Amino acid sequence: MEKVGIVGYYQVKLASDANYGRYEMIFEAVRGAIDHAGLKKKDITTVISATNDYYDGRTISNCFTVEVGGGYMADESKVEMDGAHAMLYGLMRILSGNHKLAVIWAGSMPSCFPYHSARLYETDPTWERPSALVTDISAGGFQMRAYMEKYGVSAEDIAKVVVKNKKNAAKNSLALPEAQMADITLSDVLNSEIFADPVTELMYAQPCDGVAALLLAPEHHALKITDKPVWITGVGWNQDPYYLGDRDLSRNKSMELAGKMAYDAASIKDPANEIDVAELSEAFAHEELIFAEALGLAEAGKASTLNSGIDGDIAINPSGGALGGNPPCATGLIRIIEAVKQLQGEANGYQVKNVKKAIASGQIGMCAQNNILYVLEGGGN
Amino acid sequence: MSKMTRRKSMEYIKKEYARTRTMPASWYLNSYKYKYNVTHMKPFLDKLKEGKLVGLQCSNCNRVSFPPKLVCGNCLIKPDRWVDLRETATIATYTITYLKDEATGKIIEKPIACIRQDGCDTTIITELAPEINYEDAYVGMPLKIHWADNLEGSLSDIKYYDVIDDKSKDMALREKK
Repeated sequence: MEKVGIVGYYQVKLASDANYGRYEMIFEAVRGAIDHAGLKKKDITTVISATNDYYDGRTISNCFTVEVGGGYMADESKVEMDGAHAMLYGLMRILSGNHKLAVIWAGSMPSCFPYHSARLYETDPTWERPSALVTDISAGGFQMRAYMEKYGVSAEDIAKVVVKNKKNAAKNSLALPEAQMADITLSDVLNSEIFADPVTELMYAQPCDGVAALLLAPEHHALKITDKPVWITGVGWNQDPYYLGDRDLSRNKSMELAGKMAYDAASIKDPANEIDVAELSEAFAHEELIFAEALGLAEAGKASTLNSGIDGDIAINPSGGALGGNPPCATGLIRIIEAVKQLQGEANGYQVKNVKKAIASGQIGMCAQNNILYVLEGGGN
Repeated sequence: MSKMTRRKSMEYIKKEYARTRTMPASWYLNSYKYKYNVTHMKPFLDKLKEGKLVGLQCSNCNRVSFPPKLVCGNCLIKPDRWVDLRETATIATYTITYLKDEATGKIIEKPIACIRQDGCDTTIITELAPEINYEDAYVGMPLKIHWADNLEGSLSDIKYYDVIDDKSKDMALREKK
């Protein structure tokens, strides 16, 4: 694969009810990324966004974000999935040879609309919706139960992931303030309000307001912009069937196949030893364990025994992950930005030592139906 | 980080003042009419009326789906072979949801489960008998279908699932725990 570099990024500080207009927040992210790279509006050749019509409260929502997103009189398109999928679209445009700088921005503001009602409309109108019992959260309950019972993993093991991520989030100044818990304990997690047994409130990645933006450029152009671009060396994506009853929820086959595709592209043979940092987009604490197993970082059923802290054998979600704030559509893009920060040594307060290779993932759908994984290298660290 | 100079156009945005107003609005998603095919479900619904269960099998990969699927995702063909299923099933996974009754404000515990009908490869999301204590439920628990009193040929004919005796050998181990 020809080299494509990440040359700039910006993330708005996450908030549960942000004092921002929708477009001001997008502007801050896109302008911030352009400033971060020291570029101008005229350098932008293509803009790809990831939002959702329902989340924006209007159809074809990207026609209103043309100016603030940098798409004025430029090539522009939208992906109605996660920001990590928007980056795939931008990557393909760069690889087509027609573009010199792609702006990828993604995010939404769940404080403006009933997020869980929106997710309810994701369910099947004939089999699932009439009972209104299957939602994104009860689907997570199914998944956690299936995983726990298959491998004999206890709720305490899964609560440990929450404790690690919320403590990491406390070191990340851009994480959601409500999710920054430096003093959290296992019993806090297990005794928090129950959402869908066995999932408790703190095991769920709380949706919040936020927008992130990132810039891509082809190799020769990236080196003109910055001395230490981060290179995308591998990408893989895959999709499970939609219906929950069709899947084995104790594992994640789409992530396994996405991981295989990305590792093949990046020539990674032994992921557990080669990868230094993993930023995984987990909607629930147990998904981090399922993903770690799917990506070969741990054996099946053994991910809870990994030493995955910032100083551990392999750092998983040193930024706090999605448990440190989950802005719908932006979560995957923020994971990529956090992996870039680790590679460039700019993760103040939660920097992992000596990072050479990092992976970052994005997901969308119930029980992580669709997954995308990036392998990132470079960054001059 | 950058070779080029950094601009300072962001400063004004950092000031703290009330910047937003809200305007209430609604989006009538409820008014949507979903059109879906019933052709592939007709034999399934007819059999339900007789109190029998059938699954739809893909003639290429032999995967049996219950409820029937329009298209086999694996082979991209329409499954066309009907196979009889037993009335027994096992729990594939389950969870408990907590719904608030709008009128009384009371929280209702409502357990739901993914059930794998014996003789089929997919699971169906359904409810268990109200007398089952959910603290005793487990993945792999054997069940039997409980039919509604009047069969109408719709999915509501499956009222819920009753528990049956578990004769597997590892039950003693589970009880010791």
